[in-house]
Amino acid sequence: MELVKNSHPNGAIGRGMRMGRLGLHVVGSYLGYQLQNLLLGSESREERHTKLRRNVSRRVREELAELKGPLMKFGQILSMQTQMLPDESIEELSNLQMRAPGMHPTLARAQFKSSLGRYPEEVFREFEAEPFAAASLGQVHRAMTRSGEKVAVKIQYPAIRTAIENDFKLLRTATLPGRMTGHLPVSILKEVQRGFLEETDYINEGRNIDFLREALADLPYVTAPKVYWDATTDRVLTMSYVDGLTIRDFLSRRPPQEVRNLIGQRLLEMFLFQIHCVHVVHADPHPGNYFFNLEGHIGMVDFGCVKKYSADVSELSRCFIDRSWTNGEKQVQRISRLLWGTPQFSRRAKTREMLRSVSEFYDMVYPPPETRRSVVDFADPALLGALTRNFQEAVRNKLCNAEFAFSSRAELGLYNLLHQLRSRVDTRRVWSGVVERLSETPIEPLPAQRR
Amino acid sequence: MPTRTSQHRPASSSRPTSGRRQQNKQKTKQVILKVALDLFSRKGFYRTTTKEISRKAGIAEGTLFNYFRTKEDLAMYFMEDQIAGLIAWFQGEKPLQRASLAEQLFAIIHRHLERVGPYEEFVGAVYLRMLQPVSKLNPLSLDTQALSLRYLRFIRDLLAVAEEREEIPHMGDIGAYIFALFHMAIITYWLYDQSKGKENTLALLDRSLKVAVSILRKGGWNW
Ligand SMILES: Nc1ncnc2c1ncn2[C@@H]1O[C@H](COP(=O)(O)OP(=O)(O)O)[C@@H](O)[C@H]1O
Repeated sequence: MELVKNSHPNGAIGRGMRMGRLGLHVVGSYLGYQLQNLLLGSESREERHTKLRRNVSRRVREELAELKGPLMKFGQILSMQTQMLPDESIEELSNLQMRAPGMHPTLARAQFKSSLGRYPEEVFREFEAEPFAAASLGQVHRAMTRSGEKVAVKIQYPAIRTAIENDFKLLRTATLPGRMTGHLPVSILKEVQRGFLEETDYINEGRNIDFLREALADLPYVTAPKVYWDATTDRVLTMSYVDGLTIRDFLSRRPPQEVRNLIGQRLLEMFLFQIHCVHVVHADPHPGNYFFNLEGHIGMVDFGCVKKYSADVSELSRCFIDRSWTNGEKQVQRISRLLWGTPQFSRRAKTREMLRSVSEFYDMVYPPPETRRSVVDFADPALLGALTRNFQEAVRNKLCNAEFAFSSRAELGLYNLLHQLRSRVDTRRVWSGVVERLSETPIEPLPAQRR
Repeated sequence: MPTRTSQHRPASSSRPTSGRRQQNKQKTKQVILKVALDLFSRKGFYRTTTKEISRKAGIAEGTLFNYFRTKEDLAMYFMEDQIAGLIAWFQGEKPLQRASLAEQLFAIIHRHLERVGPYEEFVGAVYLRMLQPVSKLNPLSLDTQALSLRYLRFIRDLLAVAEEREEIPHMGDIGAYIFALFHMAIITYWLYDQSKGKENTLALLDRSLKVAVSILRKGGWNW
C-alpha cells in the first residue's frame, strides 16, 4: 500500500518540492528586499524595487501556473487579497485567473458519470463534448435538456477538494514568501482555505444562484441562471444558459453612448441593491462573469463567490456616500470603530484624516451636491487611477474591516467594468433610487451555508 | 420461440459438427461467465458457490467443471473476455481514433474499470492471485501469454500511430510493456480508492498520462 500512496496524484511531495523551489527563488531576491524594507522603512524605496518585484512576480506566476489546479486558485486569491502583495505582483497574478486544467472529452464525461452516476448523454438530449469556457476548478459545456432547454454544465476537475486540502497542509509549513514576511498569518490562510473548500462545493454555489436569482428578480433587466437540481451535484452544476455578449464582443459592436450609460447605471444599481437591500454581494468582479446586449440587458454568472455581509457594511458604505460620518465626534468614533475595530489611533486628528481618505474615494464616485457635478464619467482614466490609488492606500494600511475591504474590492471591479464601458452615470440618482427601494419589504436572508 | 425453431431444424444438423460443438461450448462458457458475474456483483465473489453458478446456468455442477476446472480458469476466461471486449470497443469508437494519445490511453483504462466496476471484489481476488508465481494468472505464466500478446500488440499499434503522428518519439516495444505495468498499477490503485465515485483514480490516471506523454515529447527523462 505504501507504493500506491506515493503515486497519489495529490501527494504533497511533488508540490512540496516545487513550492520549496518557489520559496528559494523568492528568498533569493524578494524576501531579502522585504526584510530590508522593514528595517529601512519602505515608502521611499518603492520605485527602486519595482523592477525586481516584477521579475519575482513573473517567477511566482510561472511556478504557480505549472502547478495547475488548486494552487492556481491560490494565485487567484492572492491576487484578490490585494493588501498582501505589491501592485506588480497583483498584475501578474491576475493573469492566472482565466486558466484551468483542461479535461479532454473522455475525462469530462467520466467525471460527470463519477459524480452523477449517469453519463451526460443519458441525462441530456444533447451534450457538447468540447467545453466552451474554462472555469477555475473545471470547465463549462453546452447542453440541451430533454425538454429542449439550453443549459451550461460546469464540471469540476476530479479530486480538487483533496488536492486543496493537501496544498493547505503544505502551505501551513511551506516557505512561501508572504508567510515569512507576515503577510499571510495562519488565520488568513485558514479563511482562504475555508473559502476555497466552499467554492469546490457546487451545491453551495447552486444555493447562492437560487438565492440571488430570487433577490434580483426585482431588477427586470438582469438575468441570473436557474439551477437544474436533478442534474447537479457538488461537482457538477447544471444551470440555464445565460445569453449575451462578453464585454469585448459588446464593445466591438460599438454600442451607442446611451446604451453604455444605461448599462453602467444598471450595474451600479445592481451593486448598491445587493449591498444595501440584500446584504450580499456577488464578489467576483471579473468582467468575464457579465454578459450584455444592445438593449441594455445584463446577464450574470458565477455565484461561487457570493459574500454575505453584516449590516455594518451597508452602514459604512452609506455613511461615506452621504458623508454622514462627519456628523459629530460620536459618529466619527463609531464609524472608525466599525471600520477598524478597536480604536487604532491615539490622536483624534489621525482618525479623521484616515476617514477622510476613505471618504475621498467615495466623493469621486458620488460627487457631493455642492460640486454640482451630477454625472460621473467613468471613462476618465484619472478617475479610475485615483480610485485605485485610494483603495490601495486604504488597504495597505491593513486596518480595514475585512468585510468592508472585500466589498470594496468588488466595488473596484465594478468601476473597472464601468470604465471599460465608458459609461456616464448619474450616481446620486441611482443611489436615491436604491434608498427608496430600501423602504420596501426586506428580503429573506441567505440561508446558512452547508458545511 | 427457441423451442419451436429447434423443432423445425433439419435432421442433418441434429448432430453438431466439431465446429458447431466448439461454438456451443463457447456459448455455454459465456452463459456461465455471465451468470457468475451476475452473482459476484450481487453476492460478492467469495460468497458465491459453484452450486449456485451451475444452478443458475442450468447445468449440472459436474458439467460446470468440464468448462472451468477451477476458479482460476473462470478468471482467465473473464480476463480474456474483458480484453477482447476492450479492443473491439476501442476500434468501434470513431471519435477516439482522432483523439490525443493521452486521451486514448485514458479511455482504454477507464473503459476497463467501468466494465469490471460491478465485480470489484472478484477483480481484487484475481489480482491477489496474479501476484502468486504458481498461479496460472501470473503475467509470467505460459497460460497468460496469448492474452498478454494480444493486449501488448493492441497497445503497441496504438503507440505506433502516435509515433507516426509525431505525438511521441519512437519507443519500440518497451512502450507497450510500460503501459501494461501502468495499467495494472492503476487497477490496484482503483481497488483501494475510497474517494467519492473513485474520482481520485480519474485524477491520477489523467495526470500521470499527461505527464508521461509530455515527458516523452520533451525527449525523454532529462529533467
Ligand atoms: N449559466 C451560464 N451561461 C453561460 N455561460 C456561462 C454560464 N455559467 C458559466 N458560464 C461561462 O463559463 C465561465 C466560467 O464559469 P464560472 O461560473 O465563472 O466558473 P468559476 O467561477 O468556477 O471559475 C464564465 O465566465 C462564462 O463565460
